[in-house]
Amino acid sequence: MFIIQDYINGLKNGKILGSKCNKCGAVSIPPHPLCQNCGDFEVDLFETKGYGELKNFTIIYVPPKSFETKPPYVVAIIKLEEGGAVLGRLRGVNPYVIESIKIGMKVKFDPWLERDNVIVAFSPA
Amino acid sequence: MEKVDIISVGMTRFGKHPEKTGRDLILEALLETIKNVDKGIDIKKEVEALFVGYFTPTFYEHQAHYGPLVTEWLGISGIPAFRTESACASSSAALSAGFFAISSGIYDVVIVIGVEKMTTLDTSEVTDALAVAADDIFDLSTGITFPGLFALMAQEYFQKYGENWENLQAVTIKNHYNGSLNSKAQFQNTISSIAKKTALKKGCSFKNDLDFLNSQFNPFVAYPLRLYDCAPISDGAAIAILANSKISKRFTDKPIHIIGIGIGTDSLALANRPDLTTSRAVINSSNAAYKMAKVGPKNIDVAELHDCFSINEVLLSEDLGFFEKGHGLVAIKEGRTSLQGDIPINTDGGLKSKGHPVGATGIAMIHEIWLQLRGEAGSRQIKGNPRIGLTCNVGGSSASSFVFIFEN
Repeated sequence: MFIIQDYINGLKNGKILGSKCNKCGAVSIPPHPLCQNCGDFEVDLFETKGYGELKNFTIIYVPPKSFETKPPYVVAIIKLEEGGAVLGRLRGVNPYVIESIKIGMKVKFDPWLERDNVIVAFSPA
Repeated sequence: MEKVDIISVGMTRFGKHPEKTGRDLILEALLETIKNVDKGIDIKKEVEALFVGYFTPTFYEHQAHYGPLVTEWLGISGIPAFRTESACASSSAALSAGFFAISSGIYDVVIVIGVEKMTTLDTSEVTDALAVAADDIFDLSTGITFPGLFALMAQEYFQKYGENWENLQAVTIKNHYNGSLNSKAQFQNTISSIAKKTALKKGCSFKNDLDFLNSQFNPFVAYPLRLYDCAPISDGAAIAILANSKISKRFTDKPIHIIGIGIGTDSLALANRPDLTTSRAVINSSNAAYKMAKVGPKNIDVAELHDCFSINEVLLSEDLGFFEKGHGLVAIKEGRTSLQGDIPINTDGGLKSKGHPVGATGIAMIHEIWLQLRGEAGSRQIKGNPRIGLTCNVGGSSASSFVFIFEN
């Protein structure tokens, strides 16, 4: 059984991990220690390729105090090729030009470190 | 299972109370609650337990362990008491605990409290405090905020149902109108009067409400949501006293009966939900409450829904079955949820206008249903002698949901 640190370590190594149920085959990204479909305990971790498409986005104008990035910045829901979806920052787009951010655009995993915390982020592929 | 009644309610005005701490707000609300018991009550003699909902007192007041703190402050130290937490639904969790305590037959009279003292922190610090209701690992690490999570829901709703931000403003405009009739509300101005004041002050003019809401005076918080799509930061407390229905007539001839309760959950991590326009927590909790009360959405005469952000009133009204998916905004624009509509929603101004001291919100909703079902809501009283009311109070991004159904 994996612990959440395995997922975070994966991110630091540039990989988004997923889990796959040995019993029913259901895929969960991000990974879950128990199958979200059938509840089975036997799940295996796997590495996604880190490619996906933009499902949805918002632009944050009022950030939390604990966050260092200057607003505005884009946070998006990224649907990964292997299934499942993750929340992540979208880099390489202009938050002042909303029309430049297109639903369905192809993106790749492109994280960075901030005070040793990994920021899940994507860039246009 | 014993039946549970509400025998009194009370609340502070919501808004900024710079001089008062959480316990001061609770005491103020309690004095009103005691005054509102039609036949009087000796709380020291009658109250057997206390449950207090407060989301994050550790952030705002460097204080936890609120149960015994409150019993001491209210002069009833010694009785069982604890704090309940389910983010913005923390006091619905307190009401649930109180309901279970009486329905199990263990206690006959309990006090349930909701409170939050938020204005000790500035906006970015409050954003941080509220954020702990989201998944720290999967969500918060991206720099998302609560307005951001609901903005994502709004985006998906607009795309899926061909709706837009302009139409969404009907929620804000309605709730500000209702709030203008509520002396307990934080904001008691209609959008039109706010626009008029702004125009005078800034030397500009607005064609209508939407023109104002579309202006620089309504800045973006998280695209597409702007300031007036968001409930404010507030201080406040709200209280209800519950009693076993076998003895409630000792306290009032007009108790409100709790006939349905439902609680549900969904994933905190927003991306893990297949459809952002619906919440499994809300669906499950409403189904359970309807089943227990033996009623359906068509039987509800008045409802209080958790409009922490404008879009959520729409999403909840659909998940609760008042309207078909994708039809909620049309219904609001047609006036069906106004004070004169067939299903008035947020007659007290909602979280947007009444204010949203998050831990107090669930019981403040019950406060309004109490007034409406007893015919005591004054200038915002709905017509036709409403008989059945519903509250839906959610935690975080609707990852927890509490639905209660009441009958007079």
